Amino acid sequence: MIACLCVSALLSSLLLGSPGSAHAPAEGARSEKVLHLPMRSAGPGSLDPIMGSTVYDNRACVKVYEQLLQYKYLKRPYELEPLLLAKMPTSDDGLTWHFELLRGVRFQDDPCFEGGKGRELTTDDVFYSFKRFVDPENELKNWWLLKDTIVGLDEYKDEQTARVEAGKAFDYSAPVEGFEKQDDYHFTIRLKEPSYSFLWKLPMFQFSIVPHEAVEHYGKQFARHPVGTGPFLLESWVENKSLTYVKSPTYHGSTFPTEWMPGDEELGIEQAAGKPLPFVDRVEITMFVQENPMWLEFLSGKLDYTQVPAENYLEAFHKRSRRLKKDFKERGIVSHAVPLLDFIFRAFNMEDPIVGGYSAKARKLRQAIALATDLYEFNSTFYNNTNIIYDGMIPPGLDGYPPDGKGPVSWLDHDVERAKALLAEAGYPGGKGLPVLDYYVSRSGNIPEQAELFKRQLSKIGIRLNVRTLNFAQLIETINRKKATLFSFAWSSDYPDGENNLALFYGPNESPGSNHFNYKNAEFDALYEKIKSMGPSPERTALYEKMRDMVMRDTPFIGSMARTRFYVVNPWLRNYKPDETFYNWVKYMDVDESRRP
Amino acid sequence: MWAYILRRLLYNIPVYLGIIALLMVALRVNDPVWGFLGKNADQEAYEVKKHAMGLDRPFHEQYIGFLGELATFDFERESWTQQGRTVGDLVADSIGPSLAITVPAMALTTLVALVIAILSAYTRGRLPDKFMMVSAVLGMSISFLVYIIFGQYWGAYVLNDRLGTEVFAIQGYESGLANWKHYCLLPVLISTIVAVGYDTRFYRAVMVEETNRDYIVTARAKGAGKGRIMFVHMLKNAMIPIVTRVMITMPFLVMGSLLLEVYFNIPGMGRALYKAISENDFPVTEVLVALFAGVFILTVILTDVIYALVDPRVRLQ
Amino acid sequence: MIRRFLGSRALRKFSRDKLALVSLVVILLYLGVAGAVGFFGFIDREDTTDRIGPDNQVGWFETPTVEQRIHALEFYLDQIDGALGRRDPAKALAAIDFFGLRLASTDPDEVGETLDEVAEPFDELYEVLEEDAFDDDPANEERLGDVEEGILGMFVEPEGGAGRFRRLALAFGTDRQGRSILLRALYSIKVAVQIGLVSALISVLIGTLLGGAAAFFGGWVDAAVVWLYSTFSAIPYIVLLMVLASMFLGSSYEGTLVPVYVAFCSTFWIGPCRVIRGEVMKLRELEYVQAATAVGFGRMRVLMKHVLPNTTHLMFINFSLLFIGAIKAEVILSFLNLGVKNEPSWGVMINQSRQEVISGFMWQIGTATFFMFALVLAFNVLSDALQDAFDPKHV
Repeated sequence: MIACLCVSALLSSLLLGSPGSAHAPAEGARSEKVLHLPMRSAGPGSLDPIMGSTVYDNRACVKVYEQLLQYKYLKRPYELEPLLLAKMPTSDDGLTWHFELLRGVRFQDDPCFEGGKGRELTTDDVFYSFKRFVDPENELKNWWLLKDTIVGLDEYKDEQTARVEAGKAFDYSAPVEGFEKQDDYHFTIRLKEPSYSFLWKLPMFQFSIVPHEAVEHYGKQFARHPVGTGPFLLESWVENKSLTYVKSPTYHGSTFPTEWMPGDEELGIEQAAGKPLPFVDRVEITMFVQENPMWLEFLSGKLDYTQVPAENYLEAFHKRSRRLKKDFKERGIVSHAVPLLDFIFRAFNMEDPIVGGYSAKARKLRQAIALATDLYEFNSTFYNNTNIIYDGMIPPGLDGYPPDGKGPVSWLDHDVERAKALLAEAGYPGGKGLPVLDYYVSRSGNIPEQAELFKRQLSKIGIRLNVRTLNFAQLIETINRKKATLFSFAWSSDYPDGENNLALFYGPNESPGSNHFNYKNAEFDALYEKIKSMGPSPERTALYEKMRDMVMRDTPFIGSMARTRFYVVNPWLRNYKPDETFYNWVKYMDVDESRRP
Repeated sequence: MWAYILRRLLYNIPVYLGIIALLMVALRVNDPVWGFLGKNADQEAYEVKKHAMGLDRPFHEQYIGFLGELATFDFERESWTQQGRTVGDLVADSIGPSLAITVPAMALTTLVALVIAILSAYTRGRLPDKFMMVSAVLGMSISFLVYIIFGQYWGAYVLNDRLGTEVFAIQGYESGLANWKHYCLLPVLISTIVAVGYDTRFYRAVMVEETNRDYIVTARAKGAGKGRIMFVHMLKNAMIPIVTRVMITMPFLVMGSLLLEVYFNIPGMGRALYKAISENDFPVTEVLVALFAGVFILTVILTDVIYALVDPRVRLQ
Repeated sequence: MIRRFLGSRALRKFSRDKLALVSLVVILLYLGVAGAVGFFGFIDREDTTDRIGPDNQVGWFETPTVEQRIHALEFYLDQIDGALGRRDPAKALAAIDFFGLRLASTDPDEVGETLDEVAEPFDELYEVLEEDAFDDDPANEERLGDVEEGILGMFVEPEGGAGRFRRLALAFGTDRQGRSILLRALYSIKVAVQIGLVSALISVLIGTLLGGAAAFFGGWVDAAVVWLYSTFSAIPYIVLLMVLASMFLGSSYEGTLVPVYVAFCSTFWIGPCRVIRGEVMKLRELEYVQAATAVGFGRMRVLMKHVLPNTTHLMFINFSLLFIGAIKAEVILSFLNLGVKNEPSWGVMINQSRQEVISGFMWQIGTATFFMFALVLAFNVLSDALQDAFDPKHV
């Protein structure tokens, strides 16, 4: 039976595929503008925004879906602008926010609509999409984004969950106190506490606006049949392999931005300014689990751009000046450096009997370990000196980041002598009396190799590590159960505000929440509750700094580093300014097919 | 014969039940739900997921449920990491690419290895034998991973670059016979080069062993030609080890093709399984392994049956 | 059996085979190194983890490129610069030690002065290099030579044995972390031999006994063995490994080689078991076995004395295949980051260098592959020769 299945599958895979369709571009294909882009992963898990969480889900979703707000493509530091809104939301007190939708935005044509024609987007769609966060059907995967935020939403969630448990259907028509509809284009959302970071959440892809017809029509399959208002339609998704999009004929038509930063002119942006989006007809994305093939495909001109794998960095770039090397320049390749909102650290479990706790002894032990760690060696060995090393948890470019990365409380100067002294003060002279510490790391990429280096650095002050390499799932589980003594981890900011990172030290977020350190400090928690409702201001920044240094004195982690990601772009790709905070840039890209080899 | 086959099948049912129980326990040693939830996990989401997946039910209920699924070929459970895709879809999509690599590779390897082994045994101890054995051994003394890395770099990238046309794709997969050479031939060749050494040595040893059997000595004494002895008498008698060999290599093909699939971006079973395990895609792992075990047991039965067919001396009881 | 081997015929025949003798020497050499590393600490683990110099240095006989030379110099300058910035620079300067390579002077003022002298021409050269203009002026080569002399001149090479050891350790270059590739590859011999011997020996032993017993006794014994190997082989290798890895999680064996052994043995024994079971199924039908049983020898005795010895050649082949198989499977395990931890191994080395191939740095992958290649090759040739020698009927 199974043998039969195998044989027929083999035959069908060999015979039924359309011969010759794959690698020989059809006649006249050149008249069509096609992007060939890589994705350095096995691909997205879902194209339903409410089920997504990874960068790859994000990249795959935002081509089809749109949100109320978006980041300005070329502006740095980041600024928001309306996308599905007619203008930026307004509020007098940070509690009640007034929204006005753009008129005439239609969903993409799809069989789920009556007559197959997409209808206009209205206020109800926004509320529907936001209510999906609490539907148990969606496993509450992204509920953390709206928990304790909107008036009445938590209560709505409890009511509806009770209904579902009682065997009744989830009722999307039931009202939520904080959602108020004025008409099809005007609505207000009331928050529990004044919050400005709420606006930063709205451009996140989980807040995409979806039509209820598609969700109802496709059911579970909605994750594979996205229907949005965005510039592209999904044509095909071959698992682990490729994603193909085509231009949506009914796109409401936004235009290329007319403001940019100095230096962006080199991207050829002037001629694009003000023109309707998108520029290309097709987008073909290939997934790469390994970096080698991705890099080779780029070198042979099959990909329009690629991120530069750390191991291949010196092939393309000069080490000190970070300029492209000669043969890359001669081919017309352009490079971009994108600083990431990264917080890469090695963490202590503050509830661990040896390294945890708030006594002077435990603190000194952690500080000794931090001082024995040479992040600069990590940077030169594994990152070609392209990382930014800094004090604290707030990544470069955000409020609360110390000037030049050096804070008043700092453990960055790899000082072996001082580390030895602190270790002795902690009661472990030369490491005596200290058991072998378990160090948990993920086994992906070169992280085990980095662990070898860490082990060597700590051995210089007499601390021994037992490296435990786990897969990511096991690592998360060990951390969530508070069983990891010392572990390597990283946090990418969900939105560009230091508050997102400070939340990692907020007591109530302890494991299995995002406070993996299980750090508890009543003073810190009180300050955190205070800053949550503050808008950007010098006072808030001062509080951020105070909180940062407070944590640094307790030293629950060793760090920090933020990566810089390098991109190389082939000369035929235009208008591309890579970014790692938002991912809807494909609609801005253009390609000059005549320059393609 | 049919009674024998039936008996083997019946006999293997308890074996399979045991395997499934073992597998289910093994996969539940570490709680699969936490791993799935990722960086923003909280207790509430955990409970919801656990309940939705039925993982809070007593073990025997889950066991019976899973057996029911397997018995009816009803793989409607949804993948945890690939929304909207059932395990059945996943198997159906990935089996083709996997077979497009592994079946030709296995056939080619066995063919090449048998021919070399027979020629080698035929000229045993003399220069051609030595030459063939040394080259077989040279081939198998280098790691598979190294072959893949260099094969991809030289065999695809550098070759294409030098010739100016694309001979082999650096990576990728398209179904269809016309695309097979472009995407699959290079991985198949690499995998053949790696495996042929092992098989050649094994088959040669078997052949050499056979030359010492009494019947060969008799045949030779009677004046039968050496070639005829080699290809007719010995090959037939050496069939048992050869069949066993081919059968036992099959499961390892999954492992072997995993690396090829990862490097050449071929969306096959090995990669699907690896992805499922490393991302804690619990239902996919469970079903894939259970299916694999099923196929494996069928090959065991098949081996026994072929034993009986090839060598009548093996008693059916 | 040993008597039979030492009994002239097989030995004589074996000793005529030149290739086999060479292989034997190679294997003994490997075993010698493995023993020296394992029992006498010929290479300390620290030697394989400590920095010996700048990263990605080329080995003997390859001339480093200008870029590699400048990066190496940059490394030394950074070391000195870093030390000068410490609270106690003299102490930090004295602590600079790469396998005996130390600063000639640890007086911060003196070092600082020399540093100032070389830093400027060095930076200029660096800039020239990064403008892709180094080759434009032949005088640059000379300037680089001067700078090199200036910077490396601040260091003194160790003398005598330590100096020879250091030079030898640099013979195959350094890896990304500035560790000696040669020392790591040599140390890996121990790891490889250990893994190969233990896994192959145990697997063949288990496989032969179970397979032989299953075929010979039949009945419930056969059923039990078949059930056992069906179960083990029916769960794919990789799943078994991942499950084992998590089973050992938190135990004191985690981080040692034990999980690797268990993983290999639990899958490897199946091969010999099936082959030997198949063979014994044939053997037990042969007249002499039937005769031995009829004469009234105990069944166990017949199996051990009359049946299993006739499968020796299969045991040998399986042992050699599994030994090699274990060494090679370790590479795959390391690729999945499930293999050897806390020690270097060829698999770890190959895995860490797989990206370097494209950038043309072949020393690490080449060295690891070569060391593995020689051992596997020798082992293959030897076992072939042994098989031939053991075969009394061969003409």
